[in-house]
Amino acid sequence: MTAKTETNVRKLPPCRAACPAHVNVQGYVALIQRGKFKEAVEIIRRDMPFPAICGRVCFSPCEDACARVNVDQAVAIRGLKRLVADIERETGRIKSEPIPKKYGEKIAIIGAGPAGLTAAYELAKLGYPVTVFERMSETGGMMRYCIPEFRLEKFVVANEIAYIKDLGVEIKTGVEFGKDITIQTLQDEGYKAIFLAIGTQLGMKLNVPGEDLEGVINAVDFLRTVNLGEHVEVGERVAVVGGGNTAMDAARMAKKLGAKEVTILYRRSREEMPALPHEVELAEKDGIKFYFLVAPKQIIGENGKVKAIECLRMRLGEPDESGRRRPIPISFSEHQYEVDMVIPALGQVAETSCMPKELLNKEARAPSIKVDPATLETNMLGVFAGGDIATGPASIIEAVGAGKRAAVSIHRYLQGIDLRSGREEVEETTWVKNWGYINKKERRYEPPVEKPRLSFEETREYLENLKQHAMFEAFRCLGCGPCAECLANLELCEGDKAVVDETLCIGCNVCAVVCPFGAIKKNEKEIAQVNEDLCKGCGICAARCPEKAITMKKLPNEKILSLALAIVKG
Amino acid sequence: MMELENFNVVCFMCNWAFCQEEMQIPSDLNIVRVMCIGRIDPAIILETLEKGMDGVMLVGCKPPDCHFIDGNLQAERAVKMLRKLLKLTGLETERIKLLWYSPTDEKTFAYYAKKFLKEIKEIGFSPLKRGAPKSKLLVNVLAAKNAASDFRLRVLLGREKELTEGVNVYGEKFSVEEFDALLDEIVTEEFVRHKIHVLTKTEPLSVKALADVLEMKTANVLRHIVNMRRKNMIALDHVEGTTPLYKALEVK
Repeated sequence: MTAKTETNVRKLPPCRAACPAHVNVQGYVALIQRGKFKEAVEIIRRDMPFPAICGRVCFSPCEDACARVNVDQAVAIRGLKRLVADIERETGRIKSEPIPKKYGEKIAIIGAGPAGLTAAYELAKLGYPVTVFERMSETGGMMRYCIPEFRLEKFVVANEIAYIKDLGVEIKTGVEFGKDITIQTLQDEGYKAIFLAIGTQLGMKLNVPGEDLEGVINAVDFLRTVNLGEHVEVGERVAVVGGGNTAMDAARMAKKLGAKEVTILYRRSREEMPALPHEVELAEKDGIKFYFLVAPKQIIGENGKVKAIECLRMRLGEPDESGRRRPIPISFSEHQYEVDMVIPALGQVAETSCMPKELLNKEARAPSIKVDPATLETNMLGVFAGGDIATGPASIIEAVGAGKRAAVSIHRYLQGIDLRSGREEVEETTWVKNWGYINKKERRYEPPVEKPRLSFEETREYLENLKQHAMFEAFRCLGCGPCAECLANLELCEGDKAVVDETLCIGCNVCAVVCPFGAIKKNEKEIAQVNEDLCKGCGICAARCPEKAITMKKLPNEKILSLALAIVKG
Repeated sequence: MMELENFNVVCFMCNWAFCQEEMQIPSDLNIVRVMCIGRIDPAIILETLEKGMDGVMLVGCKPPDCHFIDGNLQAERAVKMLRKLLKLTGLETERIKLLWYSPTDEKTFAYYAKKFLKEIKEIGFSPLKRGAPKSKLLVNVLAAKNAASDFRLRVLLGREKELTEGVNVYGEKFSVEEFDALLDEIVTEEFVRHKIHVLTKTEPLSVKALADVLEMKTANVLRHIVNMRRKNMIALDHVEGTTPLYKALEVK
């Protein structure tokens, strides 16, 4: 790992540090407070290209990290993100201009999923010509083919990808890696760097007898087929095996397609389920049943069709390496459920048959590509890999984070900069020392699950109402980190910081008293010293310093005065 | 939407209260955006008034929603002190207005701006407008400006929060009323001293002459002069007969 030096550690608020893509949460929430919704989306886009998608389906590690939980509940960050992205889409997104190509090195990206598209977005922003190759006919990867329409609408995905295309990223669909193109042919065509982000496409098997019966369909294949618009025959009684978000999606989808009874079978108990609590609630609302502590032993068929599923009861043992309690089968507890369709949703594995052998990770249990976790390099020079293919199935935001890391690595590789030294590292910082001072303000904002059908006038009113609620919610943010770098007003601050003229400072301590964040302290020489990590550039110290020893770099007192006097007539 | 005519009105505005789209700001109103309304140095406001500004509006976020926790309250303290100073100068205190505004307000910013402008129009043009040089008022405003940029008032202003909310190093706590009385006293003292300083800048003056201008007892003027000599603000220039004349020294 890289050595921590003074220069490469970035101090960030807890929410932003927790986000794999380090999205500037504090910045856009601050802008929402003031009703600047469009600017808020731009802030999100600085860090990742999918505000509307993540506003819907992100598992929001930011909310888990939110410092507000020390007082009451976390700020509804995901809901706010969804709202600003929706407002922007509804009021008309300004068409983004293609970014001029600064560099000549061509980059190929395999897979138009979240990781690949993010890398393409970041590299295009840097000024590289980027081409994305996608096997399917449409872009978006798992976001389009695996997440059902009722959780993530297709036009939302299309809109976000259109933004990336507008920036000048070339996307070629219907090109299969390993068949139409290989690493060799790409390199021959003059691509200087390749990023593999093909994800994990194959559904994991149950490995029980009877899996090839008619009526057993893997959750990933099931969702993909439905999302492709093809007709899928669902049974009357459906069993979904697994406890993740995909299981919830598959179960709800089966219900919506007309199954009478859908049951989720999970081998641990409710607490250990990897699915988001919010998703589980929605599944329950849709009438999905849950059986916990059961694992399928075999699928029983009749005339080649599924008739029943035989399960074993389980009990929970000691925690395993994932921290969850290990399920242990109870002998002679076999029992049967009568079902006519079984959907295994046990996770995905990568399809590695298209990959060159030397890239594969031989030590890992599941097939994957061997990469350096920090730089995402593979064993081959100029070839990088990230996202699910390297980590195993994860989330959109983690893939976005990987895409960003890959973009940094590729840029460094192409410019001949060392891939490791001086890479940015993140550290959590907050100025809040005492939570007791903060007033309670309960979380009331919950994002609307579905937009009601409304007339034109009603929509306007509905949106206004949502905006008011969002501003109220955004004010719950403590802004507990250092300067949010929202740069709401570029000409004003640009991350303005206070500067102390040491020859003038007399150590009166007024600045330390007025600074709201405790960013100025007297040092051992009795001279005020600014802690730049905490300074948010408000300038109150500069307005109060009795000796005028403190000035702001960008907006000194003289400038304010000259701006004010600019209009004096006569 | 509204006519500023020949009025000069400046509006200092917190960037966080500012919202271009929804505000419909009159194009001829001079808005100076700052990071926080607490950023405005009281001396800046007095200087704009000295240069002939008819009105100064300060717009900050409605408490408790300051982006910088209590920057808006810092501005409130500054305005309180400014009003006290302005009262001494004779200029209308209504020329300064502090407005709490939030983009979620029912009334638009334009409404408040219009209202303030109407108030200013009722008061009329600033007497300092077309540079009435050497007038009594100008001397007063200059003195107020210097007082506001001098050490004593700024320390007091900066320490107000600490003094009224916590305790000082001696373990004393000030009530708001006590602090107010203290502020009144120091504002008056500093104003008089700086007025003496401004008056003696151009020509040496005797205590008697100063007492006439300031309409104060000679003993009190002398007390200030002793104090000012100690602080290197004023020095003995020469003696006319038996009357010493004092002249201001350049303050760094």
